[in-house]
Amino acid sequence: MNRLSRTRILSTSLALLAAWAAAAVVSLNVGSVRIPVSTTLQLLKSRFLSEPPESGTLAAILFSVRLPRVFLGSLVGASLAAAGAAFQSLLRNPLADPYVLGVSTGASMGTILFSVAAASFGFAAGNGFFYARPGAAFLGAAATVAAVYVIGGGTERSGEGSQRLLLAGIVLASFISSINVFLLTSTNQADLRGIFYWLIGDLSRPVDASIYVVTAVVLAGFLLLYLLSQSLNLIAMGETSALILGVEVARVKTWVYLLASLMTGAVVSVSGPIAYIGLICPHMARMMFGSDNRILFPAVFIFGAIFTLLADTLARSVFSPTELPVGVITALCGAPLFIYLLHRKGGER
Amino acid sequence: MTVCAGDIILEARGVSFSYRSPVIRDFSLGLPAGLVSGIIGPNGSGKTTALRLLDGILRPASGDVLLRGAGSLQRLKRKEIARRIAMVPQNGTVFYYQTVFQFTMQGRSPHLSLLGFESALDEEITLRALEMTQLTGYLHAPVSTLSGGEKQRLLLARALAQQPEVLLVDELTANLDINYQVELMSLIARITREKHLATAVVSHEINLLASFADRIALIEGGTILEQGSAAEVINLGNLKRLFGLDFSLRWRPDGKPEILPIINEGRT
Repeated sequence: MNRLSRTRILSTSLALLAAWAAAAVVSLNVGSVRIPVSTTLQLLKSRFLSEPPESGTLAAILFSVRLPRVFLGSLVGASLAAAGAAFQSLLRNPLADPYVLGVSTGASMGTILFSVAAASFGFAAGNGFFYARPGAAFLGAAATVAAVYVIGGGTERSGEGSQRLLLAGIVLASFISSINVFLLTSTNQADLRGIFYWLIGDLSRPVDASIYVVTAVVLAGFLLLYLLSQSLNLIAMGETSALILGVEVARVKTWVYLLASLMTGAVVSVSGPIAYIGLICPHMARMMFGSDNRILFPAVFIFGAIFTLLADTLARSVFSPTELPVGVITALCGAPLFIYLLHRKGGER
Repeated sequence: MTVCAGDIILEARGVSFSYRSPVIRDFSLGLPAGLVSGIIGPNGSGKTTALRLLDGILRPASGDVLLRGAGSLQRLKRKEIARRIAMVPQNGTVFYYQTVFQFTMQGRSPHLSLLGFESALDEEITLRALEMTQLTGYLHAPVSTLSGGEKQRLLLARALAQQPEVLLVDELTANLDINYQVELMSLIARITREKHLATAVVSHEINLLASFADRIALIEGGTILEQGSAAEVINLGNLKRLFGLDFSLRWRPDGKPEILPIINEGRT
């Protein structure tokens, strides 16, 4: 009967992890200074196995620039992709994604408001600032979800009901974007190019102490989300149906909204609102591994990491030494996919 | 706990429920094991709401719904309820990407743990449910390819895969040709007896229910007008009161009624 088993999930995840490791090695290799794969592996081995580790320019580039960036890209991609898959199941709409729903933009507003407020109170650039910033982004994300939910009129109805939610998300995102630009312009920020990149979604900023909080939030959020995967399978069939089959629908919905907002908020606070990762990755993963969330969630989590890693590698090598923000690449892939899905959904009616 | 035929498995006691205005008023009904209870009433009489209250999906404003050996549904988790009560919803949706087998196996989910996966036993139970509903020929067919009657049997199969003690069926035969209606109702009646289910079927197909149900409850304005065997509750007065029409009523030798509305062309 080809039923789902732990073994199948484990082997799929391991295969994807191997693909991720390969993508990471490629990504470590590419950049203004090329580091050959053999050197990369040699440096990694020396770093973790020999005493004392090798030093030098290549080691410095690898360990202070490339490796943190590969880690950040993977984390951001995994988190946004998993949040996208969760929103799609919850709203029974393949077009739902943290970016389209305005959650990412809301998280960026939380981040900006927090930074502006911190600067005006002279509370900046310490560890406390870095630890608190993802929390502010989460509040921004959660407030946006709540606003989208109220404006869009709830999720009880699928089809048109969830289209209304998406529409509310799109409108709210453009509104919040304007607020973001307003806030940033009015506070005389010096690094306009950096801000501009961050607003599109960018992984080029140096990794700071907040990465520990973000990593913990993403991993914990994902594990909790995974516990809800079977309930979300049933909710995807309709809320009445899920109730009949024993799902505490209201509770699960609240948790998924919270966890997906938390995961989105955490990563957006460092990378900015990268578009469409939560749309593209679940869609591709579903084509490869089916729509059962029990296998889809782990698959999409790793797949999102791979996709974002490759998109970022492309973003920093296409016009090398000039870098593009990664959000440009993901939007170039995501917007056509969105149109295709919209067209297909229209055709099904 | 052993269940004897006739034991009340699920019971509504004085249940009331309102959306904006009252929909269900002082509703009391017991569902005995091994029998089909038919709930008959006109559109808007509260049949579907009553069924949702019996499944604990809606909470009564007053009164209570009691499950044998477990007490009030309000104190139970949804999963505990779903292990014992299955419902076939009206216009249940089926999704294009699932196969008949996958869809039916969802009925096993109340029996799985939080991170559980279906076992070989769950597969076997699913297959048996598909056998009972004569769908084994379609195991790997996408659900979207099934006909209307087959889709209804599929929803019934998923409910049976839950291995419930109580089966609630909401207008399952609506929009089906008469032959499919008869086929489905006799299937439900047979399974009810074989599995000792306490079954409630809601419908406005009065002839169909009167033929297949062991007991009948007439519902009007959210309250039970009368309940008992077909012979006890089906009479011209009750029919007129429920549907506002005159009927011609004939009793067959097997004790089943034949009910026809009297249509007066000249009526204004």
